[in-house]
Amino acid sequence: MAKLDVELTVNGEKYKLEVGSQERLLDTIREKLKLTGTKEGCSVGECGACTVIVDDQAVNSCMVLTAQVDGSEIVTVEGLESKSGLHPLQKAFIENQAVQCGFCTPGMLMSALALLNTNPEPSKEEIKTALEGNLCRCTGYQQIIDAVEIAAEEWGV
Amino acid sequence: MVEYQLLRAHSLGEVLEILEAKDNVEILAGGTDLMVDLHHQDQKFEDIDYLLDITAVEGLKGIKLGAEKGEIGALTTHAELISSEEINEKLPFIAAAASSIGSTQIRNRATIGGNLANAAACADSFSPLIALGAELVLRSKGGARRVLLEDFVEWPFETIKKENEILEKIVFELPQGEYYSSYQKIGRRKAVSISRISLTLLAEVEKGAIKKAQVASGAATPFPVPFRKVNKYLNGKTYAEVDPVEAGNIAAEEMVSITGERWSTPYKRPALGKLVERAVEDLLEEAGYNG
Repeated sequence: MAKLDVELTVNGEKYKLEVGSQERLLDTIREKLKLTGTKEGCSVGECGACTVIVDDQAVNSCMVLTAQVDGSEIVTVEGLESKSGLHPLQKAFIENQAVQCGFCTPGMLMSALALLNTNPEPSKEEIKTALEGNLCRCTGYQQIIDAVEIAAEEWGV
Repeated sequence: MVEYQLLRAHSLGEVLEILEAKDNVEILAGGTDLMVDLHHQDQKFEDIDYLLDITAVEGLKGIKLGAEKGEIGALTTHAELISSEEINEKLPFIAAAASSIGSTQIRNRATIGGNLANAAACADSFSPLIALGAELVLRSKGGARRVLLEDFVEWPFETIKKENEILEKIVFELPQGEYYSSYQKIGRRKAVSISRISLTLLAEVEKGAIKKAQVASGAATPFPVPFRKVNKYLNGKTYAEVDPVEAGNIAAEEMVSITGERWSTPYKRPALGKLVERAVEDLLEEAGYNG
C-alpha cells in the first residue's frame, strides 16, 4: 500500500509525515510523535479518552484517519502546559480532585478546552454537553464539571 | 482482513472520476460509523480495495435555505446544523434531531449525508427529512438523479444508491405559512444515546386546523417510513377535532402492521403511541390551542 504525505501542526510544531492508509490520528500521535498523553480506550468513539482538538473542534482521534486531517492544526494534552506553568484547566482539575486514575483526564481536558476556546463563560448544561462524549469510571463527573466551571472563572478568557 | 488503499479527493469531479474508474470503493466522510466497522474488521468490508476520503470536497458542504426551497450538502456536519441560525429558525426539528445524535466529538465529524447513506435503522436524520418530503440528489459521472428520501432505503444498511454514485445533497421545499414541528426520541440513556424510537411531526396549519401533517418514523421500523394513516387522520382536522391519544394509537398500529408482532412490540407499541401523542400535544400547545 502506498504511503501518503501529510503535513500537520501539533501543539504549534510542524511535522511532515508519511502515513499509512489505515493509520488513525491516534496512532500517529502516540506511535510516531510519541505524545502518549492521548489515550486509547474503547477505539469506537464511545469513551472520549482519545479526544484531541483538530482545527478548534474536539474529535475522537480513534475515528479519524491521519490523512483526512492533512494540513490541520492539532492540540493534544501536551499542548496545554506552557513556560508559565500548568494551564488553568489543569490546575483546576488538580485542585478540585477531578483526577483519580487519570486515564480519562487528557480527553476531558481537551473537550473542556475546545469548549472554553469558543464559549468562555459556559453554563453547567453547556459543560455537560461538551463532556458528554467523555466517560470517567472512577471519580464521577461532579468534580470534573466543577473544575471546568472554576477554570472558566479563573481563566477569564 | 480488511485492507484498503486510501484515496483523497479534493473536488466533486475527482470523486465521480474515481467512482467511475475503480471498483470496490467505499466512501469515507466523517467516519464515525465506518471507522468503527473497519476497526472491528467487519466482514461487510472484506472486499473493499479503496477507501475514498471526501472530507475535503468543499462542493459537498453547506446549507442553503431560500424562501421556498432549501438544500443541505451531504458533508454538512451535525454540529453545523445545530449552530446554523437559519436551520434553528426555519427547521428546528432538524436541529433537534442533530442535537440528539452522539456526543460533541461525534457531531463535530459525523455528516448528515453519512447518516443517510449508512442507513442504520436507528439513524436520526431520516425522520425530520422524510417529514419534510426531502429528496436526495445522487450523482454519478453520467449525471444526477433525484429520489424521494422515503424510497432511498431498501433494508437496514441497504440503499438504492449505486456504486458509481455519491449522495451529493438533500433538497426540499420549505413548509409555507404557519407550521409547527416536534422531534421525539427515546434512547436507553440521556446522552450519547442510540435511538430505540424516534419520530418527527411536521404540520402546516391554517385557521385553527391542520392543513398538512407529516409524521415520520425513525428506529420504530426497520427502515424509516411516513405514517400515512396518522397523516390521513390529522389532515383537515380542526384543533378541537384532534385527539392526541387516538393519533398515537393509529401510529402504533401502523408500526405493528409494518414490523409484525415482534419480541419488542409490547414495549414499542405503547412507547410509539405515547411519542406521537406527545408530538400532537406539542403541536396543539404551540399553536395556542387550550382545548
